[in-house]
Amino acid sequence: MSTSFAAGVLTSSILSGTSLLYATLGELVGERAGIVNLGLEGTMLIGASVGFAAASVTGDPYLGLLAAGLAGTAANLLFGFVVISRRANQLAAGLTLMFFGFGASALIGRPFVGAIVPGLPEFFGFDALVWLAAPTAVGLWCVIFRTRWGLGLRAVGEDPVAAFASGRRPESLRYQALSLGGFLGGIGGAHLSLALTLTWDEGMTAGRGFIAIALVIFARWNPLWAVPGALVFGGAEALQLQLQARGADVSPFLMNMTPYLLTMLILVFWGWNRRSTAPAALGRNFFGVE
Amino acid sequence: MPHDSALALRGPSLRGPNLRGPNLRGRYLRTMKFPVPRALIITLAALAIFAALLLAAGKDPLRAYADTLVYVFGNSYGFSELFVRMTPVLLTAVAVALPARLGLINVGGEGQLYMGAWLATAGALAFPNLPAWLLLPLMTIFGFAGGALWALLPGVLRAARLVNETISTLLLNYIAPLIVSFFIFGPWRSPESASYPQSPAFVDAARLPSIPGTRVHAGLLFGVVSLALYSFLMRRTRLGLKMRAIGGNPEASVRLGIPVPAFIVATMAVAGGIAGIAGMAEVSAIQGRLVSGLSPGYGFMGFLVAWLAGNSAGGIAVMAFLFAVISSIGDILQITQDVPYAVVNLLMAVILFIVLGQKRRTP
Amino acid sequence: MRLRLLIPLLMPLWLLLPGALPLAAQTKLTVGAIYVGSVHDYGYNEAMHDGLMAMKKAIPGVTLLEAENVPETAESTRIMEGMIQHGAKLIFATSFGHQQFAFDLAKQHPDVDFEHAGGWMQMPNFGNFFGATQAAWYPMGVAAGKMTKSNILGFVAGVPIGYVVGNINAFAMGARSVNPKAEVHVVVTGGWSDKAKEAAAANALIDQGADVVTMHVDSPATVIQTAEHRGVYSIGFQSIAAKALAPKFWITGLGFTWGPFMTETAKSVMAGGFKPAMVREGLGQMMAVAPFGPAVPAATRTLVTAAAEKVEKGYNPFTGPVTDNTGVVRIKDGESWGGDKMGSFDWYVEGVIGKPK
Repeated sequence: MSTSFAAGVLTSSILSGTSLLYATLGELVGERAGIVNLGLEGTMLIGASVGFAAASVTGDPYLGLLAAGLAGTAANLLFGFVVISRRANQLAAGLTLMFFGFGASALIGRPFVGAIVPGLPEFFGFDALVWLAAPTAVGLWCVIFRTRWGLGLRAVGEDPVAAFASGRRPESLRYQALSLGGFLGGIGGAHLSLALTLTWDEGMTAGRGFIAIALVIFARWNPLWAVPGALVFGGAEALQLQLQARGADVSPFLMNMTPYLLTMLILVFWGWNRRSTAPAALGRNFFGVE
Repeated sequence: MPHDSALALRGPSLRGPNLRGPNLRGRYLRTMKFPVPRALIITLAALAIFAALLLAAGKDPLRAYADTLVYVFGNSYGFSELFVRMTPVLLTAVAVALPARLGLINVGGEGQLYMGAWLATAGALAFPNLPAWLLLPLMTIFGFAGGALWALLPGVLRAARLVNETISTLLLNYIAPLIVSFFIFGPWRSPESASYPQSPAFVDAARLPSIPGTRVHAGLLFGVVSLALYSFLMRRTRLGLKMRAIGGNPEASVRLGIPVPAFIVATMAVAGGIAGIAGMAEVSAIQGRLVSGLSPGYGFMGFLVAWLAGNSAGGIAVMAFLFAVISSIGDILQITQDVPYAVVNLLMAVILFIVLGQKRRTP
Repeated sequence: MRLRLLIPLLMPLWLLLPGALPLAAQTKLTVGAIYVGSVHDYGYNEAMHDGLMAMKKAIPGVTLLEAENVPETAESTRIMEGMIQHGAKLIFATSFGHQQFAFDLAKQHPDVDFEHAGGWMQMPNFGNFFGATQAAWYPMGVAAGKMTKSNILGFVAGVPIGYVVGNINAFAMGARSVNPKAEVHVVVTGGWSDKAKEAAAANALIDQGADVVTMHVDSPATVIQTAEHRGVYSIGFQSIAAKALAPKFWITGLGFTWGPFMTETAKSVMAGGFKPAMVREGLGQMMAVAPFGPAVPAATRTLVTAAAEKVEKGYNPFTGPVTDNTGVVRIKDGESWGGDKMGSFDWYVEGVIGKPK
């Protein structure tokens, strides 16, 4: 039976966009605390490989998911240690995490290439992660904007010195943010290997980690905007494949460019307005009171 | 923006302004992230950690290390490949270091490399009948222009205070390979090779010469020359001084009358151009045509190399060489022990994490 | 500081060192193989690997060096050269895009023999081999044409090179020979292996109404698993092992059997009599038809087996008149396109929706 074009594109976009959304939310939490993690790609790869391996060994996809999340947390904590406690340059540390992720995931995933794992079970057509994606975004919004912890998080991201002066502990908050962020990033990666493709392949995230970083900007550091953003970015690829299936002649490369061009335009426009919604201390290190 | 106060301009004194800048000789060792003996310890520690990881995966790290040393230092091809690997990284590292002196962060080396390769290909395809001594310089200029234009946009956006260059260069990294793919799947698809997506092969006149018997090519000269020019510019010219001033204290520089926005735009463009030359060298000397998958992350490696070297020219050369040796470990592991090449990234990352994890007294 | 300058200046002397050091162990023959993907892909690379394993078993004392995930760029030169430096005297470059690099290396190493899969270049020490896949797709089309109820067949293609387009054409012709209403819809992913895209492509085709999907990508796994998941028939390609992935909805498939050829080639290198050739063998030699799945009725099995035997005996579906999907007659009556033209397909036959691009 043939589904309508719109339904097909929407379904594909949702499937494609789910892993993007989790990864974006993960990065967003960290950036709200002032830490930019360029190594999200590495975190996702670690999540995908560990999740796949764990699901293969235990036979339980949910255990695989849990393992993926924890592995993502571990990766982010490694990154966090050098960036927070050792005050290293965040960009360099992020790129290092990316390289780390490529290597570690290749090593971990190697014995499991070609394994057949139980995929995430589906309810009404979609797996649990897809159903939970938007609620997670909403939940994260509530946490960031409606809880004291979230307030502290944002304070640290805006002005860590002031936050410190008002009694918060920026380093501790940042570690917590990165842990949560790593968990979400790992899950984002695992969705690829445990739901979308049911395989593990070196480098299978194919740049999604970086797309997620762009998405955070696109969403202007607001989890709610990340949802349509993930649909748009996931949709570009889905759209051109669906168009091809119907015989239309559309260049996949031009289509895949559109989300990035869109992000650039939004940045320029928003920069023009000078409304800076980025956390002011994003990228800088906190040096304590000296 | 992070200050590099160590290189800031000292104020005018009774003897007039210090045009020579701070004494950098003693600084040479310290502008690299660490002095030489410490470097050795770090490398050994990283190799040990990596060996442990390999052992856990059931492989033989000592044999791999031994094989690599034999291959890289005892075999002329293995040794020459070090330079082949180094060449693009030297260029992309300068592309990062140059703007870094202004306090700018250029992570767009990948994209600039691709666009340089793209425009150089356009040149090669448009003028196949020119003799090499005309075509190669033309392609080099095109390569430079391609990368420069790609970095110009982020430069302008930053100078106009619209968009941070870290983000804009990062985004443009994704668009560039898509543009290349569009062309090799479309207007430039070679009719030979059963329509496999790649450009037609470059004519011989469009190929950069290499040392016979190896793949070491003229691009290495570009790299060395850029490094030398960069070093000369920074240490011995007024221009370099002004750049360091901007990097050290932007507001003061403006008040001193230095046209900061112009410097930002020009520096980004030149940096992008240098990365673009790396792209031109890759397609001209190594690949011989435009293909997708040109760069296995040379732009990012350049960033890390420049950062590890503290943006010093000598440090960049040393670090690039080190990275090349490490990459060779990956080759050996892949050929002799069935370990995916990607695992070598783990070793690089371990070294970097150790370096990043050093205790620092000043930010 | 001055010493520091001396060392780099002395380095060029190192280039004078001899090339191959005694890095290779004592062995009868060292064979090197590069794969574009992983050997556990239930597909192309696994089939190549199986062939090499068969060769290794048949000739005790052979050392096999393998490298997976070698991209189709100049990186492959480095790996192949590394293998040569480790003593390899026979190199199998198993992916189409490795051709130019292997060829250039062959020019530099006249004492090493190369076999490339899927191309056409030749030199005294460079030969080419592949399965004659195009005709073999005809019986697959017959199977699909018989099993489909929606008359829409989906084909996921990796890189639309001439050989792949030829496969699609033969598939369509086979399907329409038993079911004139059948249509083939093609989705191109743009690469030999991109699992997420393959899953999305298969879904798009199934959304479009396809109830039989097949593919020409390196690994059939993703497409087959997606089809199985959605209750749609699948036909495999590259490796017969793929049948394990679709216990319910597998129809049949094609697989490569490289073992005998590789063993023969290795033996000829050892004996010193390597002869370059463009080897194209089809069903019965380098290719085999996979066993049928449980859903295929006996009548269809007979039909498909008969078609396969016809091809084995030399039937060429590309015998005129053949019209393309815009109505132009591409192969005239009485003409027939042979093996040498299989790489030049840039048009789809009637019944295929789309344009090869």
